[in-house]
Amino acid sequence: MTKVIGIDLGTAITKFASIVNGEPKALDNREGSILTPSIVAQTKGGERVVGILAQRQAITNPVNTISGVKRFIGRRFSDAEVQKELKLLPYETRERSDGGVEVKMADKWLTPIEVSAMILQKVKADAKDKLGEEIKNVVITCPANFDDSQRKATKAAGEIAGFNVLRVINEPTAAALAYGFGKKDAKKILAYDFGGGTFDVTILDVSPDTVEVLATGGEAHLGGNDFDQIIINWLLEEFKKDQGIDLSKDALALQRLKEAAEKAKTELSSSFEASINLPFITSNQDGPKHLEYKLSRSQFDSMTKELVVRSIERVRKTLEEIKINKNEIDEVILVGGTTLIPAVRDAVKEFFGKEPNKSINPEEVVAIGAAIEAEILTAKEEGRTPEGDIKSVLLLDVLPLSLGIETLGSVNTVMIAKNTTIPTSNSQVFSTAVDNQTSVEINVLQGERPMATDNRSLGRFILDGIAPAPRGMPQVEVKFDIDASGILTVVATDKATKKVQSIKVEGSIGLSKEDIEKMKKEAEIHAAEDQKKKELIEARNLADNLIYTCEKTLKDNADKVQETDKNDIEAKVAELKKLKESDSIDDIKKKTEELSQAIQKVGAQIYQQQQQQEPQEKKEEPQNDAPEAETEKE
Amino acid sequence: MTKEKENIEKLLEESEAKKNEYFAGWQREKADFINYKQKELTRLQELLISVKEGFALELLPVIDNFSLAEKTIPEAEKGNNSIKGLILIKKQLEGVLKSLEIEEIDTLNQKFDPNLHEAIEEIEGEEGMIIEEIEKGYKIKDKIIRPAKVKIGKGNNN
Repeated sequence: MTKVIGIDLGTAITKFASIVNGEPKALDNREGSILTPSIVAQTKGGERVVGILAQRQAITNPVNTISGVKRFIGRRFSDAEVQKELKLLPYETRERSDGGVEVKMADKWLTPIEVSAMILQKVKADAKDKLGEEIKNVVITCPANFDDSQRKATKAAGEIAGFNVLRVINEPTAAALAYGFGKKDAKKILAYDFGGGTFDVTILDVSPDTVEVLATGGEAHLGGNDFDQIIINWLLEEFKKDQGIDLSKDALALQRLKEAAEKAKTELSSSFEASINLPFITSNQDGPKHLEYKLSRSQFDSMTKELVVRSIERVRKTLEEIKINKNEIDEVILVGGTTLIPAVRDAVKEFFGKEPNKSINPEEVVAIGAAIEAEILTAKEEGRTPEGDIKSVLLLDVLPLSLGIETLGSVNTVMIAKNTTIPTSNSQVFSTAVDNQTSVEINVLQGERPMATDNRSLGRFILDGIAPAPRGMPQVEVKFDIDASGILTVVATDKATKKVQSIKVEGSIGLSKEDIEKMKKEAEIHAAEDQKKKELIEARNLADNLIYTCEKTLKDNADKVQETDKNDIEAKVAELKKLKESDSIDDIKKKTEELSQAIQKVGAQIYQQQQQQEPQEKKEEPQNDAPEAETEKE
Repeated sequence: MTKEKENIEKLLEESEAKKNEYFAGWQREKADFINYKQKELTRLQELLISVKEGFALELLPVIDNFSLAEKTIPEAEKGNNSIKGLILIKKQLEGVLKSLEIEEIDTLNQKFDPNLHEAIEEIEGEEGMIIEEIEKGYKIKDKIIRPAKVKIGKGNNN
């Protein structure tokens, strides 16, 4: 089986992914990062370096450090847009005899194709390092608005690097593939791609056989770097206001500010406040100066609002161009690192009135989609099933919904959780809920809701003939076993009498997709109230247990307990009995705790008395003075 | 009779073949699982190293700032015991790095090498040589955790 990779050949950053153990995965380069800067350089020592190494030496060697060639690949030198870009470059360029662009690196004139090939060569070497074999088959991505000549050039770059380029596909198409959209029915998909330096929006019509690009739009210079710059400017301003020192001329201080700004931006994606501390940022005649500020997420959001609004405006315009209403978009996919910013996600969600797809890391989603496409194409060629489609020749199912039994207080106690691979089994020991209980009823449940009645009952049976004993003493083992065809066997065994009772449920696993989805949805909708209900039942069970223990302790040790303690406990028991029927979880918990402490004190006294009175005799087992919540069966 | 025997023998043969197939599949599955566990172990070890690296990356800025602070201490105050104590704490932090097998990257009198160093600025000095170290770089064995930030000489021609 041939290993393949997918390559997201970006303007600023290149990423690659492969299928590892059946799962698509973005891979690290040799420097240990998923992100490889799309930069090539010839160092002053005459060595060619690519990626982060090229970036590290860029400042000392700007004329021989080539970046951003994707902006010129397959384009004409005379093109107005190309001319505009060329003005911003630190390296030399000229028109080639065929009208294309050439860049100069260490006295040699190279085409953008050759430079791209150098980047891809590094990817090839890194992939070999990571996957342990030479990689031939690849899929490379390009922007949706690339024309035929740009696509051909991209393919040529891959071939020069020694790859067999199976296909060049659109970046948004790759993202849609990564999410598996369009496999069954046609869908309108919008890819919102907010990268480090560029913003792109693409609207696709994806169906099982075809992918049609309906519209593209974007801004060539709008990205995450702008967010960083806003933080840097804010820090510069604040520092100047507070200390009267302008840091913008200090290259070193600026470098530290840039790193701090990036870090703060990342931090604000997961927390609501970021601290920016840069001690000894500079000094003047008064001594060293420190920079210390806090930036809240809301502050950051309002500072950068304009950038987010610009991107959303671009989306609106692109939709208008093809006269599609935003409600007609079936799926929105987030692509690019900048979409990790919560305000960006919120803005997209608000605009479309629905949750965008973001479960796959937006920085990796394009490379992952490309890897999936490469695997599908290679598998077809080799006449096999794509890896990841099936795990092994042995097809193993997973349980779609949890299976459990009903326990004390109508609680659904899960025995086998959903998504467990079958065949499997699990057993647990339960007990009785009242004294002298001689039978238990086993109610087999299917579903995710914590309360038994909200789930589907697959069947019930009674295990009787249990020897009379105080509650909690009998041990009933319940075993769930599902075989490979989904047949469930539930066996209950009384460990004392060895009496056994069982039930077999066939086809219980085979609910229709709709039913399963419905049950899962319901569980989600009711999650909060269910949790409360469950907590209440648990609190009640705990209170109930404690009351039982207290009453038993008082009865069994009537002669050892002082009158005042006895009265105190009896009063507390009466209070808790009344309270436990209420719905107030906190009150029940509080009173239970009070009673628990009181009975523990009494328990300790009884224990001490026993030790003093019967030092020679065999000591009696201490009472359950710290009752725990037991899993009991009515 | 012979026909029946033949049939049974054939059935037995088939069952034998099936048994072998299933048994092999079972063995394979079991082996896969053991191999998976071993692979997980390697992965876990790799993870531990990367956790170490991650921890170092968080700690390094603190040591950087200590170094910056040390540089600003006026000569006259270096004998002060409180200041000496603070410098000892910095040494203690550096000791933590050593215990994690994290080493500093050499910069003094070295030729600039993008594998190890990141150029921040070009200044007067011998071309291609490191003139000044701005921020220390660190490595675990041969793996670079963070390149050293340096100023490079631009030579006489420029």
